[in-house]
Order: sequence, then C-alpha cells, then structure tokens
Amino acid sequence: MINHLLRLLFILPFLWVFSQAAMAQDKMERELRIKEIEVPKEAKEWISDTFETTKRLKWYQEIYESGYSFEAKFKSKGKFYSVEFDSLGLIQDVEIEIDFKEIPRDVRTGLEKELSPDYKKSDIKRLQIQYSGASEDLKDFFHKNSFKRILTRYEIEYIGLDEKGVSEFWEGLFSDEGKLIRKRKIVVTPSENLVF
Amino acid sequence: MERFYLVLFFLFLNIANSLGQKHQFFSGFFPEAAITKKLKNDQKIIVKIEHQDILYNNSGEQKDEFQFTHYRTDLMAFYDLKLNPSKSIAVGLFHRIQDGANANRLIQQFASVNRLRGMKLAHRFRTDQTFTKGEAAEIRLRYRVATEIPLSGSTLDPGEHYLVLSNEPIFSLQDGEFEIENRLVFSFGKLIQSSQKLEWSIDYRTDKFIQEGFRTRLWAKVGYFYSF
Repeated sequence: MINHLLRLLFILPFLWVFSQAAMAQDKMERELRIKEIEVPKEAKEWISDTFETTKRLKWYQEIYESGYSFEAKFKSKGKFYSVEFDSLGLIQDVEIEIDFKEIPRDVRTGLEKELSPDYKKSDIKRLQIQYSGASEDLKDFFHKNSFKRILTRYEIEYIGLDEKGVSEFWEGLFSDEGKLIRKRKIVVTPSENLVF
Repeated sequence: MERFYLVLFFLFLNIANSLGQKHQFFSGFFPEAAITKKLKNDQKIIVKIEHQDILYNNSGEQKDEFQFTHYRTDLMAFYDLKLNPSKSIAVGLFHRIQDGANANRLIQQFASVNRLRGMKLAHRFRTDQTFTKGEAAEIRLRYRVATEIPLSGSTLDPGEHYLVLSNEPIFSLQDGEFEIENRLVFSFGKLIQSSQKLEWSIDYRTDKFIQEGFRTRLWAKVGYFYSF
C-alpha cells in the first residue's frame, strides 16, 4: 500500500511538470547558434577581409526585446575573439580575451581604484579588450596596427564582495583609463542539478 | 529530436541487454525532484526526493520478469552557504525508505561551479556517514565532476536545452571493508524558466568492485529542479 502511494506521489507531479514544460516561456533575451548561411553577407565579408586566419568560427544571433544582432566567435593567433555586428551586418565592435597583466599598468591601477570603493574584495574572472570604430578604421587597426579613430575599452567579468558580505558576479565596461562606464549584475542560471 | 530519443532508447536497451547477461544487474525508473529556497545572506535550503522503481532484475524473486518493484525512496534536506558566486559548502540530512534497509545519513559537501567559455564545470567533494539498523556505520568519500553544455549559444537561456555529463567515484568504508562505486550520468535538459530545469538522464552505476557480487544498475531518470 505504501509503495503504491509513494509511486503515485512521484508520478503525478512529474506528469504535471511535463505538461508545464511544454508550454513554458520566459524572457526574450537569447543567444542562438546559427548557420553561416543565415548571417548577412556584409558581416561574413568583414571577418574574411580583416582576419587572415580564424579557427572554429561560430556564428550566433543575439535576440533582444527590441531587436537582434549577430556575433562571430573564433580563435585567431592563440586568442579568443568575439566580433559583434548589428542586424544589417555592420561591424559594432571586436572583443579579444586577454590576461589582466597584458593591460597597461596605469589602466590596471585605474580599474582597481574604480572597484575598491564598492567592494571589500574583487576577483577578475574574465577580461576582454574591446575595439570599436568605423568599419575601415577597424580593418586598418588589425592590418596596420593603426589606432586612428579607434575607441579602446575593457569589458571585465568579476566577483565583487560588498560591505554587507554579499558576493556576486558583475560585468563592467571600463574606459581606456580604467574608469567605469557601466556595470550590470550577471544572472547565473541555477546549478543545483550539478551540485545536489 | 525524435532521432535523439530513439538513439537514447536503443543505447539504453543495448547496455541493459549486454550487462544483464554477466552479473547482478537491475534497471528501472528513477524520478528525482529538488526544490531550493533562497534565504538571506547567500544561504539556501534544498529539499530533494529521489525514488527508484525496478523494472528489470536479472536476479531475485522476479528474475528476468518485467516488474514494477519499489526499490528505494530517499528524502534529503540540505543547508547551503555560498562562499562566493562559484563556491559553496553544505550540510545535509538524508532518510532512506527501503524494504528492510531504512537508513539515515549525514552529509557534508564542498562544491565549486565555474563558468567557462561555453560551459559550466562543477566539482563536488562530499563525505557522508550512513546508519542502517543492524549494520555498522558506513563512511564514504565522494568526488563528482560535472559539465553542463548549452545546446544553443554559448550561454544557457530560458527555453533552451543543454547536456550534462557527470562522473562520480565513491569510496566507502564499512566494518573495516573498503569498497568502490562509480556513477556515470548523461543528461539532456531544458531550462524551462530561469528558475526551473527539467532533465532526462541515463544513470549507470557500478559497485562492489572489491568485495564479491559486482553489480551494475542502469536507471532512466527524470529530474526536476526548481529554485525560488
């Protein structure tokens, strides 16, 4: 009798969950892997014109409430790149993953100064240098190392422990002097399935 | 998607068939559900239920017959404290309902979940002490490594599917006898909403490597995880 009751107790909620899962929807912001054929020609051409070699090139579509953009992710010369294009395939920016020690010392000091008033302790987990500018200026930057009309910024993901003892993941955009432009909390999906 | 389920089904049948021939083997249905209540100051309470029904057993009273026999039901409760966004410690209480082998367990664990490029990588170190009436206490040391890979995009967004692959060796000591168990799990999941996950898994367990009676267990799992 107890066994039958236990079975019912488990099977019924699962049937309910299946029906809910089939209908569930959530917020619209998503990143989708897409095929190269779905990418605007302009974006594909910009990548092939700018980078001699790309390894493991993958295309993604970022979908927001207000529209969408395209992103190329690949490895080139040992570094991870992510290149963002608008919905028409026009270049927005290029981000390259780098180590903290690769950025100039004054920028490093600036970053640390910006973070220290808000947090008792901070730990940088991921750092990307971001280059933006007009299409041809960015090409010149990658071909000839010309910084003309190129805006350099730093996007960092860090763990910040605040005065209340709460630590959270943050993503911050910093200027080339290490000044904070904007930051947002990173929402991490639950990991109970991996831990319990 | 149909092809994926078909491959999974045949893989399950194939493993079940090949393993069932040689040693003690049983297989069945294994639903599990975990509910997490977030508290202030990075604390959480997790309540989890696991239930196992045997559908096939190559030994025992209903040898080689299709059956639906209750094997065990495990009830767990954990208190979890986040040390930082990627590391946490937890302690737990566990009660097992099993015919003739009801048991209680104390659990201690340390876990880290790292967000890597395009995946999550989790490490879990656990110790537990199990107390079963009429038996010596069993002490175990467990280590689980698990990776979660989103199937659309490099981050997992609501409505998207993912894969999880995990392996956990378990070392136990009971009455002076040492034993090893291994648990290999392959899951296909869906992040239903930002707080809910649903997983379909194949859980392959092998134990009694050292003592007599090498045994394998293969479970078709369905897991539901809700956090609020």
